[in-house]
Amino acid sequence: MSASLAPECNEVKERYDNCFLKWYSEKFLRGTATSDECEPLFKQYEQCLSKALKARGIDTMLKEAREDNRENDAEHMRPKR
Amino acid sequence: MKIFQQSTEFDYSWEEVSTSNWRKYGPWNEKTPHVIAVDTLSRTVDPNTGILRTERLITCKQSTPKWINQILGGQDTSLVYETSYVDSASKKVTMCAMNMTWSDLLSVRETCMYQPSSAAPDAKTQFIQRAEITAFCGGWQKIKNSIEQFTVERFQQNAAKGKEGFEMVLEMSRKAFAEQRELLRLQQGSKILQEAKL
Repeated sequence: MSASLAPECNEVKERYDNCFLKWYSEKFLRGTATSDECEPLFKQYEQCLSKALKARGIDTMLKEAREDNRENDAEHMRPKR
Repeated sequence: MKIFQQSTEFDYSWEEVSTSNWRKYGPWNEKTPHVIAVDTLSRTVDPNTGILRTERLITCKQSTPKWINQILGGQDTSLVYETSYVDSASKKVTMCAMNMTWSDLLSVRETCMYQPSSAAPDAKTQFIQRAEITAFCGGWQKIKNSIEQFTVERFQQNAAKGKEGFEMVLEMSRKAFAEQRELLRLQQGSKILQEAKL
């Protein structure tokens, strides 16, 4: 897996990525995912990452990108007819 | 605005491609050294549609030529915001990416899709890529055109490298899964290994 932009988050990121990949291939793709067992690891990773994003001013850039992305969400999240 | 479009096929099932896609920029890919980091910002499964939505932030080493750097302002890394949507019921991955760096001057919007190939849905996967490139530097049409043209050419060069690199990841991934299955088979057949597992 790839590194984090914040080296201090690499360790927890790797643990989360491995957990996710297992969940994705063994549960999500088979349609048997009932819960997200990687959530606790993600929370740890997110906590570490969000500090780094804030310190680098990336959090405000992200706000804009999310605004610009709304139409993609509308198009690709819509239920199948 | 300029448009870049291409499509290609991978000799792997959609399940393999969509799984390996998460590893595309990892150490198995030697063709994308410009991707320094890939961070996941959020991940949710929509309770109504079952679609997995992921937000990622991709950090790249800047490799633009000097003349573009001089116009747009020098920075050594660039950031890309990506959202992806995986619909496992209809076997479709859609990825939408946009540039966060230089976004006041240049807009690059890319959409990629992975779907089972219609000719061999269980063995092959079709990849479609489309990018829209728009430069907005005031009234300087010539500069706008040059920047857009350069960006389209970069997409063309990267498309071939991207496929080569992803093929490496797919091959390694298949090997790793085969080894894992073999280990599991041995474990189930061997008492010692079974006990070791405990």
